[in-house]
Amino acid sequence: MNPTSLIARDELRLMRRNRVAVIACLLLVLLTLVAVASSWAHQKGIEDLRARQQHEAERAFDAQPDRHPHRVVHYGTFIFRPLSALAAFDPGVDAFTGNSMFLEGHRQNTANFGDVNQSSLLVRFGQLTPAFVLQAVAPLLLIFLGYGAIARETERGTLRVLMMQGATRGAIVRGKLRALGAVALLVALPAILGLAALAATSGAAILPTVAIVLGYGAWLLLWVTVIVLVSTLVGRSRDALLALVAIWAVSVVLLPRVATDIASAAVPLQNRLQTEVAIARDLREMGDSHNPDDPHFAAFKRSVLQRYGVTRVEDLPVNYKGLLAVEGEKVTSALFDRYSGESYAAQGAQNGIVSAVGVISPAIALRSLSMAAAGTDFAAHRGFLEQAEAYRYDLVQRLNRLQADGVTYADDTARDAGADRRKRVAAGNWEEMPDFAYRAPDGATLAARSLPGLAVILGWLVFAGASLAIATRRLGERQ
Amino acid sequence: MVETAPPILIENLAVTYGDHRVLDGLSLSAPEGSVTALLGGNGAGKSTTLSTLLGFVKAHAGAVSVCGVDPGVAPDAARRQIAYLPENVALYEHLTAVENAQYLLALSGGKQDRAAIVEAFAAAGLQERAWGQRLGAFSKGMRQKVAIAVALLREVPVLLLDEPTSGLDPRATADFNALVLSVRERGTAVLMVTHDLLSAADIADRICFLESGRIVEDVVAHGPDRFDVRALHARFAVATQRLAA
Amino acid sequence: MTLWRHEARLLLRQRLAMIALALLAVLTVAALGAGMAEVSRQHAAIAAIPAAQAEDIGAIAAWVDREKDAGSAAYYSFHPTWNAPSPLAFAALGMRDVSPYILRVRALGLEAQIYDGDTFNPELALPGRFDFAFVLVFLAPLFVIALCHDLVSGEREAGRWRTLAALPYGGAALWRRRSLLRLGLLSAAIGLPFALAAAMSGVSPGAILIVLLLVLAYLLFWVGLCALVGRLRWSSVANAATLAGLWLVLVLVLPTLGHVAINRAIPVNQGAEIALAQREAVNRAWDIPRAETMRRFYAGHPQWADSPPLETAFHYKWYFAFHQVGDESVAKQVRAYRHGLETRDEAARTLGWVLPSVGVQALLTRMARTDLTAQLAYRDAIRHFHRRLREFYYGYLFRDRPFGKADFERAPRFDAAP
Repeated sequence: MNPTSLIARDELRLMRRNRVAVIACLLLVLLTLVAVASSWAHQKGIEDLRARQQHEAERAFDAQPDRHPHRVVHYGTFIFRPLSALAAFDPGVDAFTGNSMFLEGHRQNTANFGDVNQSSLLVRFGQLTPAFVLQAVAPLLLIFLGYGAIARETERGTLRVLMMQGATRGAIVRGKLRALGAVALLVALPAILGLAALAATSGAAILPTVAIVLGYGAWLLLWVTVIVLVSTLVGRSRDALLALVAIWAVSVVLLPRVATDIASAAVPLQNRLQTEVAIARDLREMGDSHNPDDPHFAAFKRSVLQRYGVTRVEDLPVNYKGLLAVEGEKVTSALFDRYSGESYAAQGAQNGIVSAVGVISPAIALRSLSMAAAGTDFAAHRGFLEQAEAYRYDLVQRLNRLQADGVTYADDTARDAGADRRKRVAAGNWEEMPDFAYRAPDGATLAARSLPGLAVILGWLVFAGASLAIATRRLGERQ
Repeated sequence: MVETAPPILIENLAVTYGDHRVLDGLSLSAPEGSVTALLGGNGAGKSTTLSTLLGFVKAHAGAVSVCGVDPGVAPDAARRQIAYLPENVALYEHLTAVENAQYLLALSGGKQDRAAIVEAFAAAGLQERAWGQRLGAFSKGMRQKVAIAVALLREVPVLLLDEPTSGLDPRATADFNALVLSVRERGTAVLMVTHDLLSAADIADRICFLESGRIVEDVVAHGPDRFDVRALHARFAVATQRLAA
Repeated sequence: MTLWRHEARLLLRQRLAMIALALLAVLTVAALGAGMAEVSRQHAAIAAIPAAQAEDIGAIAAWVDREKDAGSAAYYSFHPTWNAPSPLAFAALGMRDVSPYILRVRALGLEAQIYDGDTFNPELALPGRFDFAFVLVFLAPLFVIALCHDLVSGEREAGRWRTLAALPYGGAALWRRRSLLRLGLLSAAIGLPFALAAAMSGVSPGAILIVLLLVLAYLLFWVGLCALVGRLRWSSVANAATLAGLWLVLVLVLPTLGHVAINRAIPVNQGAEIALAQREAVNRAWDIPRAETMRRFYAGHPQWADSPPLETAFHYKWYFAFHQVGDESVAKQVRAYRHGLETRDEAARTLGWVLPSVGVQALLTRMARTDLTAQLAYRDAIRHFHRRLREFYYGYLFRDRPFGKADFERAPRFDAAP
């Protein structure tokens, strides 16, 4: 057996004999299993609830009686965002975004009822998911197991004994790396198996699953390298432990929060009240539908009359009120898109700042990688919101056109006792309306989104590896 | 009654750790102004004797008193009468010699007058340039001098020494022994635990050999030669062999 | 006293301890600064409401004034409500980053409006805010551990333990003194910047005192834990590893486990179900005889029952009546939903009695009025205001009074005071 394997075997034997270490490892495995199970059950519950509510909402929409199409525009529809296949591994922003949306005419509503608003204060302590276990807890366990790997030998003078027996510095360090790496693999295994099971049962794409495995693998390997590096550089094991815990606390706990505070201070978001007032202002400037003399709508009316070659709206072959609704929706939606585009851009800029901090804190990079690959990051949520808006616009315009074609102008403006009946179109029309179908981003897209995070972690891994190589050459020179 | 109590009085002391009886019927008394050396092999119970006097270990049977105070009952009162030097005097390396002395004196409840400390350092033979230095670079001998100086300042009736001369070079050993004798001159009862027969024979008034938790040999100095070192060595060698067997 | 001075000198000469204390103070100051900046942003957003609102309502008033139709005024006018941050909010931002603190409502069905959120970036909300509560609950224990894990074991490993213990004032009192000194300095590093920031923010002296006591108690818990672990007589390294492990479990793992357990044990019907049911009830009104809606409405609100009967033409009073009936039809679900949320919150608070990390967070957010209770109180204030809005517009609608420009001025204004 070569010296590296011998040293690795020796280190592993030492860990096996350390009862605390064994218990800690078992607890972590248990925690991972609990996280996988609870996360899976939680997501399953949400998914069932959403599926049921989505079904209920669609049924209710289709079951509407004869109605005036504009009523249906305001009856609107509820849509629910299905969870991504890997959300049980890393639910990302899911708890914060809310997943139901009420879609109606000329209003852009928010997604409501996020878990965060429906849970106790504990939700802000973080969520017990496999991703959390691997991101936060596993590195700390590796620290506990590995801080003394080299420092202990230096402290007790056994390092020299090893070197005198012919083990090279490189062999010693590689042996320790291998031992700690084996533990890292053991620690990650339950989560990875859980991920594989999730991916297999929920039909997740291969590429993002591979990206997650690679990302977390590199993350734990990075910690293994950093732990051995610090243990090499710092002569006393207690100092190595304190330094490593400090590095962990700063990168995993502190920097993610500081980064978000920097981002939210640097790029302010316009709140909803200001956005709504601004949209109302822009609408007034473009054309006031309440003002019969408004130039924009007067011009629209002229163009419609011209197109159909008539002089009065009453003579149009279609319902002018329907056409007006189509035009109005077009104008308001363009504004909604502009303002939400600005808000998304601002949020994107905020996330950009956080990613920039992620260059110093690989924990942030890992989190973005993980959420991106799991399809639970802001980009994925934005995709949902944009699809929802496109669907809303399409649905409302279909209903508006139904008003233009299915209800006569005379009936629509009549106020007699039977007018209400005549204004309605047949209930069969509602079933014709398409249901919302969320198109999840494909695997390649998700994997591509996770690449920047992966690049940062791999960059750190290379850097840490190079530092360790340099530190190894000077190992045992002091004292 | 307290006036007349000897500084150190141990009668039929028994101490057990679990099933293991470390001291078994040990009796020892040390008067004022004396040096008693306690010799013995590893595990003979030397350190346990000191620990009992300091109140770290409780007597299982028998009586222990330091100037009439039972350290098992009132350890703080007993410790007020005792200065103790462990085998390796470890002090705070990031403080200077004077600061270390001030700190230890504060924990003894004594005054921390700089002039008095410096005087005691001089009496203990610590070079003047070391007084304001941090302790990081001090040798064992220098550290002991700091500790002895503190003991001198405390003016306590009892001084306990644990292997004071192990690891000291002959010159430092001679210096240290002279220091111990000067402490004795002040009327202090000195009890030292040691492996070093020669050093003990140099300064002790009485040498007790401890084996399996009791005193098996008790020799008092007499005449100008004080001890017959050769004879002592032979007797202890026999006793050590008995212990090994 | 002089013993304390000596201990202080001993500690202050240790570079690691000094760096740790300074770092903790810097982090506290940074967190206080970040919290105060966030609170001032929220104040600014609230202060900007009147101008925006005046512009918005002014434009509506301009065209409503032509026909003086109270229904149009009620339908198109949004009325702002807000939940100003309390003086202490900077210390524990709690839910204020994810729950709306500004919400505009119309006199229409409230259940379709009250759960609306404000714009926030979910990726920023995910890790939580860097505020004073975070520094205290999450970071401060790590500093306690760094300073206190080797109190006794360090002396033992340095070979000084017996020397110290053999001195009359070197026994248990020495370790108590050292622990208390560290506790005092750590509390000062956190408490002094806090007290200053709190005084600047106008927090009452009583509240400042309570928070300071809380800081002291929480740190004392961790110092006590260090002392307990120290009694096991393990090495400094083993102490540090054990304490860091305990920190992980007490601050990160158990709260997350508690979260899972509470949400499992206390199911809350999704708020979306209320919204769905309310929409169904509201829209059904178009398909049933209008008189039926009015009967139900008048039964609950007899003060308007003497209003003239409906004619064939559309009348807004019917429109608003069926919105209110729609709200009332889901009142039971609303109560159940709210009760569920309160029960969950209650359970978390109960957990706070056992888990100091949770307890401190709960108490701080309660005192800062940034917790779920405060959020629910804000919803109550909105409901109360919404009632006044309805009453106000009904006075015009059900009495067929014209609604002119001057009447916009008479609309109720949200009273932020609780």
